[in-house]
Amino acid sequence: MAYVATRGGERAIEQSERLYREDLGRIDKARVDAIAESLPYLLDRVMGEASLYAPELAALALAQSGGDLYEAVLLLRAYRTTQPRITIAEPVRQDELFTVRRISAAFKDIPGGQILGPTLDYSHRLLNVGVLSGEDFVPEAVELANTPAPATQPSLADWQKAQGLIADPPAEHVLLDEIPDVTREPLLFPASRAHKLQSLARADTGGTLALGYATMRGYGNTHPTVNELRLGEAEVRIRHPRGTLFSTGRVRVSQAEIISKAKNLQLGFSATFGWNEVKVIAAASLDLASSQEKPHPASNEEFVLYHTEPVESSGFCIHFKLPHYVTFQSSLDALRKVKADQAANKAGAPAAGAAKPAELEKAIS
Amino acid sequence: MIETPETSASADGFSHAAALDILARSRPEAIKAFAETHIDELGPIEVAVSRTGLAMLPYVDTVQNTAFHLGEVLMSEAHIRLPERGVEGYGAVIGRDLEQSMAMAVIDACMAAGIGLAEIRTFLADEQRLQAQADETRLRKVESTRVRMETF
Repeated sequence: MAYVATRGGERAIEQSERLYREDLGRIDKARVDAIAESLPYLLDRVMGEASLYAPELAALALAQSGGDLYEAVLLLRAYRTTQPRITIAEPVRQDELFTVRRISAAFKDIPGGQILGPTLDYSHRLLNVGVLSGEDFVPEAVELANTPAPATQPSLADWQKAQGLIADPPAEHVLLDEIPDVTREPLLFPASRAHKLQSLARADTGGTLALGYATMRGYGNTHPTVNELRLGEAEVRIRHPRGTLFSTGRVRVSQAEIISKAKNLQLGFSATFGWNEVKVIAAASLDLASSQEKPHPASNEEFVLYHTEPVESSGFCIHFKLPHYVTFQSSLDALRKVKADQAANKAGAPAAGAAKPAELEKAIS
Repeated sequence: MIETPETSASADGFSHAAALDILARSRPEAIKAFAETHIDELGPIEVAVSRTGLAMLPYVDTVQNTAFHLGEVLMSEAHIRLPERGVEGYGAVIGRDLEQSMAMAVIDACMAAGIGLAEIRTFLADEQRLQAQADETRLRKVESTRVRMETF
């Protein structure tokens, strides 16, 4: 691969950006607010992939990019680099989440019970086309229960560990500033579990689904079922200068555990910013599949983590739109030479300087 | 996890941690307006920090108990000093509203300096009640979705 600096086309470039932005029209606060209010799950997806929790900025990124998710994620990742890191918050634990949804597909009677929370899982998916002709869709109000659900729910995995159903590895005490961080260290293989889970947390939803789906369909030797799926809000707890630990507010998070009974009960795990069930279920399946002794190539850890990084993968893909003229020109020169030689060969003896077979192969490879 | 020091009680009935929790979650316009009513009583204020930045949020994997980074949270932070009183105030809230974090820092400084404690206690109680009401309403809706399955 070769790159070349090109010159010219400045006006065209300027006008092309103008055309893009003119098509999107004026962006004002009202548009950003409308996006934030009406598309919370899209904001969640963008924030998860950007690895930056900032709903207002995610809405702005979507407004500026016209909804192009990769552009929006790139905008947020770029913004992130302008900000100092103030601190590392206290680790979030599952049983401390303000839980609004918590289900298990593998176990019916789980400690704390099954709470469907906000979901369309059991709903017909029908367009309300009446909205387009002026009939507003007004959602029916939820009938309040007499008593509130507990704000937190116990961990199913902890119960399973206590029952001896699954392994309970000892918790390794790691200082906050020693937790591996892929934003500051390269991702090397075999990856640490912390790097792996962080990479999956910021992975591309679509890419994660594609590879996770392949695993689910049988390109691997795990048979996943959802052990527990949870949506909730996590407190972001930091230290006051005097040492007091306090919450600066809550962020939406989702987490999934996948269980496989192929040999014995094994769990895979994933969590991400925002409510994004498809991503955490697919990512937890990939965590489990990639942890097997001889994983299928499609769930190999390196294959999964490299190819689900949204900014790198989308950036590499779209870079092929940019000038590759030197590379291509040299190939074209060789091809033309080959064609000329072939014509000369048919007509008689090879011309002086005719391409040799090796050159022919190189030219067309 | 390190225990929260509870020795530095702020306003009667609220530990420092509880007060900070409530302040960080208070309605932005309400806390700004409330801080405005006390700012003149503080005397000279040195602003050490007023900025936006990131808090990395670790998460503990429930399968292998591994702590990993979920991602970063954008927050605004304010740290002020009252040189004549020898106290400091600190505020940090999720988002990028510098006025909100500064209002929190002003109230924290008031608590540390013993200024307006009765009004602060009332403010905290009011905000705490609103926050509890919001949580209870949300959780009563959540409870409505509890399912008791029968398999046969």
